[in-house]
Amino acid sequence: MAIKFDQPFYSLSDETEQNRIIELWEAEKHGGLWEGNNRLPFPMVILCGLIIVTAFLVTMPIWGQRPNAHDFVEHVALMDTPEIQAIADPEAKMAKIHEIAYQRADGRVKASLERHPITWDDLLNLAPHIKEAQAAGQYPLDYLTVLGDRLVLANFEGNWNPDGSRERKQPWWDSGYLIDVFYVAYFIIFTVFVCKRLPHFSRKPDMSNAK
Amino acid sequence: MLIKYLFAKNEDIPAGSSSVFFGFSAIFWFVVGTGLGSFNAAKLAFPDWVTGTEMFAFGHMRQVHVLAVILGWISMAFAMTMMYMTPALGNTKLWSEKLGLWNAFLWNVGLSLGLFLLWMGITSGREYSDIIWPIDIVVMLGVLLPLGINVWMTIAHRRTQGIYITNWFFGACTFFILVVFAVGQSPELFNLTGLTEAYMTFWFAHNVLGLWITPVAAAIAYYTIPKLTGNPLYSHRIGHLHFWSIVAFYSTPASHHLMSAPLPEWLKSFASVEGVLILIPAVAFVANILLTMKGKWSLFVENIETKFSVTGVLLAIPLNMQGGFQQTRAINWYIHGTGWIVAHAHLALLGMSTFLEIAAVYFGLQQILRRKLYSLALANFHYWFVLIGFCIYWISMTIAGLIQGAGKIYEVPYIDVVVAEHPYMIARWVGGTMVFTGNLVWLYNMYMTAREGTVVPAGRYAHEMAYER
Repeated sequence: MAIKFDQPFYSLSDETEQNRIIELWEAEKHGGLWEGNNRLPFPMVILCGLIIVTAFLVTMPIWGQRPNAHDFVEHVALMDTPEIQAIADPEAKMAKIHEIAYQRADGRVKASLERHPITWDDLLNLAPHIKEAQAAGQYPLDYLTVLGDRLVLANFEGNWNPDGSRERKQPWWDSGYLIDVFYVAYFIIFTVFVCKRLPHFSRKPDMSNAK
Repeated sequence: MLIKYLFAKNEDIPAGSSSVFFGFSAIFWFVVGTGLGSFNAAKLAFPDWVTGTEMFAFGHMRQVHVLAVILGWISMAFAMTMMYMTPALGNTKLWSEKLGLWNAFLWNVGLSLGLFLLWMGITSGREYSDIIWPIDIVVMLGVLLPLGINVWMTIAHRRTQGIYITNWFFGACTFFILVVFAVGQSPELFNLTGLTEAYMTFWFAHNVLGLWITPVAAAIAYYTIPKLTGNPLYSHRIGHLHFWSIVAFYSTPASHHLMSAPLPEWLKSFASVEGVLILIPAVAFVANILLTMKGKWSLFVENIETKFSVTGVLLAIPLNMQGGFQQTRAINWYIHGTGWIVAHAHLALLGMSTFLEIAAVYFGLQQILRRKLYSLALANFHYWFVLIGFCIYWISMTIAGLIQGAGKIYEVPYIDVVVAEHPYMIARWVGGTMVFTGNLVWLYNMYMTAREGTVVPAGRYAHEMAYER
């Protein structure tokens, strides 16, 4: 049962242990069945790695971001400007607002605007609430989720603020991911250990005398 | 006929009796379960079909359908395969045929009672764990525990030093299901409510799939494919990867069923990553089996058991691709609570799992009864009716789910969504009814196999002999 680490990519078992396993392997069939000692195919190893990376990337909360009041502040500011007031058609108004707001937005807001387009009527309904929230100043605007034509305080529990309250912004990372990082790491270590304890895959059991 | 052995001495009971009891019971419950499914689908397609009687209301009948299929067909087919594969793989005999027979008998009695009560409207009201607690105790002590004891003791009394991969899964999963079942019933037993109740209920629902239905079905393929092809299983170490990744990744992500519930966000994040990682055991399983088929692909056309097995393995690919990604926040908000989920559940139970079990039941019953299959033509009829019926069901419900998702997000009036879905509900009924018809033919074919199938000579396998019909 000795474990050796001198050639970890070859096998973690010493020669005696490898010979013992191969001898046992070659001595018995299970109801006429037996298993090959083939390696994990290299493309499969790559695929497993890809799955792990994908698992983190596709589950990030950023892909489930809701629009918040901050995303539309620029829209509200623009809607009363002479440039926009001069346009009669609501669709054209909104297209112009969107064009200007989109240019001025940072990357996160741009992504949100792409995913959550609004119409002129939506903006008319939303604007008074955004102005009211700005005037009140009780919460940062990105704490307020846009839900239809209303603003609601998000129930996210993000980082701690200095005053002891919690950020109400959707975090891009949380302790669930941290647990996952360790969990996956332990799994990989364990699985590599289990597989590498087997005789090296170049040693093919001869089953001709197995019973 | 098998009932007479219930009071016989263990050594007087022919080997394989309990497996045959479980096998025919499983087919019977499959016919009942899919018949109820067809009935329920008709109610959705034609709302005026059978109204006015509370017993036949959809809410009653749906629970009976779901549990007849899970506890009747799928789990009994598992028990059937365990009763013959576990001893065969240990080069020994079953630890106790008598316990196996009593297990099958009590299983049928307990299930009949549980389903009758559900039909009468006596239910715990929790999805998948609908049966009330006194019957749950019967299921725990009269169904799952004896099954586990027989499997564990047979493995312990094996005549090999090593344990073949199928028996790893059988031994582990019969233990897992006891724990899963006990936890799943805890809200009713201990009066847990609110989020705890929801989480426990869906921890159960998730792990019935994750630690029972899919891994045991996979374990069956590890037996049937090498047996039918004559090839060794491609890789022992891929088997390790499959087994341990099931244990690590499939047992944890229960909260991804509740992504819209007010559970802690960190728990959802954790579960969602684990949910995608379910693809690792899936890749390992599919690769191991398909590589085992090397040089024997002609059997996929020629041999009915291989046809069912490989179809089941291939269905594991879309199953896990869907399962891995549909639970992420980005997709779940759209498809949650729609027919998409119903389609996915049927892909797991009626697709991947059922096809693998059907193959094992065909193989096992012929082998134990020492009778060649009565009719290949009827078996092929069965295969194509179940496959085409399933595909119609799966595709129509997936489309219906996408329509419902759009209706939900864009706040389309519910009645408009109902109208838009109607053609797909009819397709669902057609598909489900095809599956039911195929199963009726299967029951007849296996009955005739037992009665009139050509005798298989000692030392031969049924699949090595030519078909006569």
